[in-house]
Amino acid sequence: MSPVSFLILLPFLGALAILLTPAKHSFAWRGTALLFSGLAALTGLSIFFDFVPGSAGFQMVGRVDWNSAIGLTYHVGVDGLNVGLLLVTGLVGFAAVGVSSEIEKQPKMFYVLLLLIIGGALGSFASLDLFFLYFFNEIALVPTFLMIGIWGRGEQKNYAAFQITLYLSLGALVALAGLICLYAMSGANTLDVVVLSAWLKEHPLPAASQTLIFGLLLFGFGTMVGLFPFHSWAPLGYGVAPTATAMLHAGILKKVGLYALLRAAYPLLPVGVAQWTGVLAVLCLGNLLYCGWVAMRQKDLNLLFGNSSLAHMGFVFLGLASVSVIGITGAVVIMVAHALLAALEFALSGYLYRQAGTLELSKLGGAMRQLPFVGAALVAALLAGCGVPGFANFAGEVTVLFGAWKALPWHVVAAAWGGLIIGGVYMLRAIRQVAHGEVSPVLAQSTDAGGVNRAPYLVLLVPLIYFGVAPTGLVDRIKPSAERIVARATSGLPATPAPTAAEPAVATASAH
Amino acid sequence: MDHSAAPLAVTSSHAQDLAWVVLLFPLVSALSITFGLRRSRTLTNTMALSAVVTGFFLSVALFLGFGFGPGVNADALPWLSIPGLNIHLGLKVDSLSTLMLMVVTGISSLVHLYSTQYMDEDQDYPRYFAALGLFTFAMLGIVLSDNLVQTFIFWELVGVTSYLLVGFWYEKPAAADAAKKAFLTNRIGDFGFILGIVIVWAATGTVQFDELAQKLHADPKVLGNMASLAGVLIFLGAMGKSAQVPLHVWLPDAMEGPTPVSALIHAATMVAAGVYMLCRVFFLLDLPAAWPDALSFLSPFSALGIIAWVGGITSLLAGLIAIQQDDIKRILAYSTLSQLGYMIMAVGCAGPDAAMFHLTTHACFKALLFLGAGSVIVGCHHEQNIWKMGGLWKRMPTTAICFAIGTAALCGVPVVTAGFYSKDAIFAAALADGRHMLFGIGILVAGLTTLYMARLFLVAFLGTPRSEQAEHAHESPWRMTLPLTILAFPSVALGWLPIGGFLKHRFFPEVAVHYPDSLTEILFEPFNHSPLGAVLGLGMIIFGAFAAVMLYWSAAQDPLPDRVPGISRALSRRLYFDQVYEAVFIPLHDAVAALADWFDRWIVQGFIVRGASGGVELFGRGLRLVQTGNLQTYAFFFVAGVALVVLLALN
Repeated sequence: MSPVSFLILLPFLGALAILLTPAKHSFAWRGTALLFSGLAALTGLSIFFDFVPGSAGFQMVGRVDWNSAIGLTYHVGVDGLNVGLLLVTGLVGFAAVGVSSEIEKQPKMFYVLLLLIIGGALGSFASLDLFFLYFFNEIALVPTFLMIGIWGRGEQKNYAAFQITLYLSLGALVALAGLICLYAMSGANTLDVVVLSAWLKEHPLPAASQTLIFGLLLFGFGTMVGLFPFHSWAPLGYGVAPTATAMLHAGILKKVGLYALLRAAYPLLPVGVAQWTGVLAVLCLGNLLYCGWVAMRQKDLNLLFGNSSLAHMGFVFLGLASVSVIGITGAVVIMVAHALLAALEFALSGYLYRQAGTLELSKLGGAMRQLPFVGAALVAALLAGCGVPGFANFAGEVTVLFGAWKALPWHVVAAAWGGLIIGGVYMLRAIRQVAHGEVSPVLAQSTDAGGVNRAPYLVLLVPLIYFGVAPTGLVDRIKPSAERIVARATSGLPATPAPTAAEPAVATASAH
Repeated sequence: MDHSAAPLAVTSSHAQDLAWVVLLFPLVSALSITFGLRRSRTLTNTMALSAVVTGFFLSVALFLGFGFGPGVNADALPWLSIPGLNIHLGLKVDSLSTLMLMVVTGISSLVHLYSTQYMDEDQDYPRYFAALGLFTFAMLGIVLSDNLVQTFIFWELVGVTSYLLVGFWYEKPAAADAAKKAFLTNRIGDFGFILGIVIVWAATGTVQFDELAQKLHADPKVLGNMASLAGVLIFLGAMGKSAQVPLHVWLPDAMEGPTPVSALIHAATMVAAGVYMLCRVFFLLDLPAAWPDALSFLSPFSALGIIAWVGGITSLLAGLIAIQQDDIKRILAYSTLSQLGYMIMAVGCAGPDAAMFHLTTHACFKALLFLGAGSVIVGCHHEQNIWKMGGLWKRMPTTAICFAIGTAALCGVPVVTAGFYSKDAIFAAALADGRHMLFGIGILVAGLTTLYMARLFLVAFLGTPRSEQAEHAHESPWRMTLPLTILAFPSVALGWLPIGGFLKHRFFPEVAVHYPDSLTEILFEPFNHSPLGAVLGLGMIIFGAFAAVMLYWSAAQDPLPDRVPGISRALSRRLYFDQVYEAVFIPLHDAVAALADWFDRWIVQGFIVRGASGGVELFGRGLRLVQTGNLQTYAFFFVAGVALVVLLALN
């Protein structure tokens, strides 16, 4: 079995094991969840380091023909585009299980749903058949809605849960419509990207179809990422979601939409790319500037994080809109970095919420003094969030600035302003109000995370710094895939993908 | 175009790789303090101090080994490489960087020693030394960098670590606010800096200094009509770090940090980084004016011309404001601004050698003055207002003598101070470049400098004590006075070394440099070299000192507010820069944010979302709660979609 299939299977096995554990052994629920998510994280690590950089082909491929009548294939594999995302999904999943010890209501259900989200996310990133990509994403999304509904907090819970469900469902539907059109119009009788892309090279879609399908995918998947102006679900949803759900959704599930655009829309629909990147370039300004300005006005830490994560997505969209190897490489670096950062931010805000009972900025203060570890981790996360070097976000953002300059110079000016100034203003304001100052009454009785309780935060912070200091390990893996995507997206005709070799042999076809 | 990694000048010895040790040792120190040594004060001390002192001696060795040659590169590490964009972490070991290395590690060593006493009673002693080590690491990264992106990386890290140091006492609102203000003001400069870097890269395909110099040498027009814009944008970065008007407002506020921090980062290192960076990329700035069409109205100005004027204006405004400040550290902060203005002006007058010369001497005497101020503040039981001091000459003799030497050096007293020689080099550069207005401003500022420094010295050290604290002032312990004493020597003697000529030869190899050969010639070199500047400068010192004595000799309070109330008020309120920013620019940006927030709250969420929800409600009957209708509807859509796939497949 491909290690990738094994990786996807782990969380589902974990969920099954928990379901089968009766209530009298309830202590084992959390342990099982920790075990399986930990194994998934380790498997993700081993896949990342076993991956041979410099090759554009798919590695560790697994393939089973599911239903040849409608061309359904279970087909998984890793390339530069998803190897980093699989790694961080494992890490964020483990951290999310780690911070969930406070769950008292229906813990069994909670951990089962959590593992379903992790498994669904892993499945969507690993799938090379777009039907499975979509299907796994649904497996992850439905538990997200349930968790917000059942374990959510705050007065706005129902409204926020409603809004996030509405938006993400509509987004998913539009994306599904796009995929169905792709399936129906291509005539290839498959949604396997490898086969489909070979087919489309021989039988290119008419320009009008490409424009239609790309538009559906862009707005469908874009909504699931929070592309302006379809973004307002995100901050509210994260504000009310339980900590682990917010970590997984903001960190991981949001990246599925971006990933699908890069996996399907860009390489398969070059005419669509040419037609739509202008629109994407305009909309990404909404994320970069508008969402940043909205973040400046937030009075609640989670709403601030939610809006700032939308602003970070603006950098990814800018990289995509540049359709350049440098820009798209940078965009993927940000996707990986932001997965860690967003999860870390929500993990820390969850800790603060548990200690203080509020996330209102004006009521917090003095976290550095009262909670040295959590306070320091929070300062590190906030600095990473305003693009300080030493964290992986900087490496991605600065790469996007370079990559986008030739195509979109004015957007780069806006992105630099958004990242350096607007990001700086709201992140430093948050440090000033939460970490600095005298210890506030709501934190006066709080205790710091100690010992093994620090692990979930370190699991996220350490790789964030590692990839920030040495992004080359990440970039060397992404680069060949970015070259392949850009070569096809700008070809006017979809080109053949790298031939997939049977595992474990490494397929070596690339733009070199 | 060749995008391969750094052209490594390979020598047989690789002694230049010692530069990595100098760079990384403070980082190792900071990390080991954070993760263990903090439990012991002695270990923290020893580790922090030995890291920088070792760095200083290695820097001297590197200077002696490589400072006189063309410069070499240490082995580089890959950082990020994509076709078309190659960034590595490399170290450039040449005369400019090794000179700066000595300045940074030297001052940093003394500040570390001083801090072991000054911060002795602070509960967060280990955090202080860890942050100081991190800061030193970041600063050395700028100094040694061999490419623009690496410079930017460490540039930002200097910003962050100074944020940690200025906000060291983060429970104090003023300190936390000052740290934030410093960081954000710097960020405005960095915004320009990164755009400048991207523009240079887009035109040349490289960010490495050596390759850029080669490309510009081969084709001086390689930057096309972006040349001046790129230069000014890069300069914007320097305006932030080196606190030039109008981005200067953070520096006086940053005095809320511990005083040794001010000596290190607000005198010798961080604020000097802008000047140093401009000297490093001087070849990029020294290009004829060429602007894009949209900015053609700027075509009379070259990048250097703009730089020179910003520097000149900063030196003048800061010199004026310093006259009416009462806090000893703020007077020094404004004098730093004024001297940084001199250095920037020198760069703009095509005198990077003069700028670096003044940077070096200024680092010594300004660090001396700040550490002296720290000694005074501790001696007077944390009193910082000079009008509550007085008579300290008798009570703190070592501090007073050292402070007097620093003051003389800052004023540029001829022959016996280092400041005389470096300041004169700046006047000479302005004259040689034909910028007579700026030369006049420079001379005028020399008079202002003497006026405010003599005021400070007369009021704080002479006369009689004006408060209880001053009455009971006491001399500081040796760990504080020793660094002062050590710094007094270069403050006097550094100008006698041929640093000016050495740097001139480095920047302009084609110009013949005359090194003075007799003692008299050495001592009176400025009077030969640029007599006009030396004589006028001397005149202004005498005039400034005379004015200060007339006004402040045993004065009980400042006479200026009574004599010229309007001017005095404007100056003591710092010419209203902060008020204007707080009344205009910050509210403007906030208003945009408020508008966006309002739009998001009421239009996007209120109208569109609720409207859509109403529509869907009609359509799907029950979308009230997640657990009920909505999920069912959703499941319905999902199944319908799948059914559609199957249907299409069967057709």
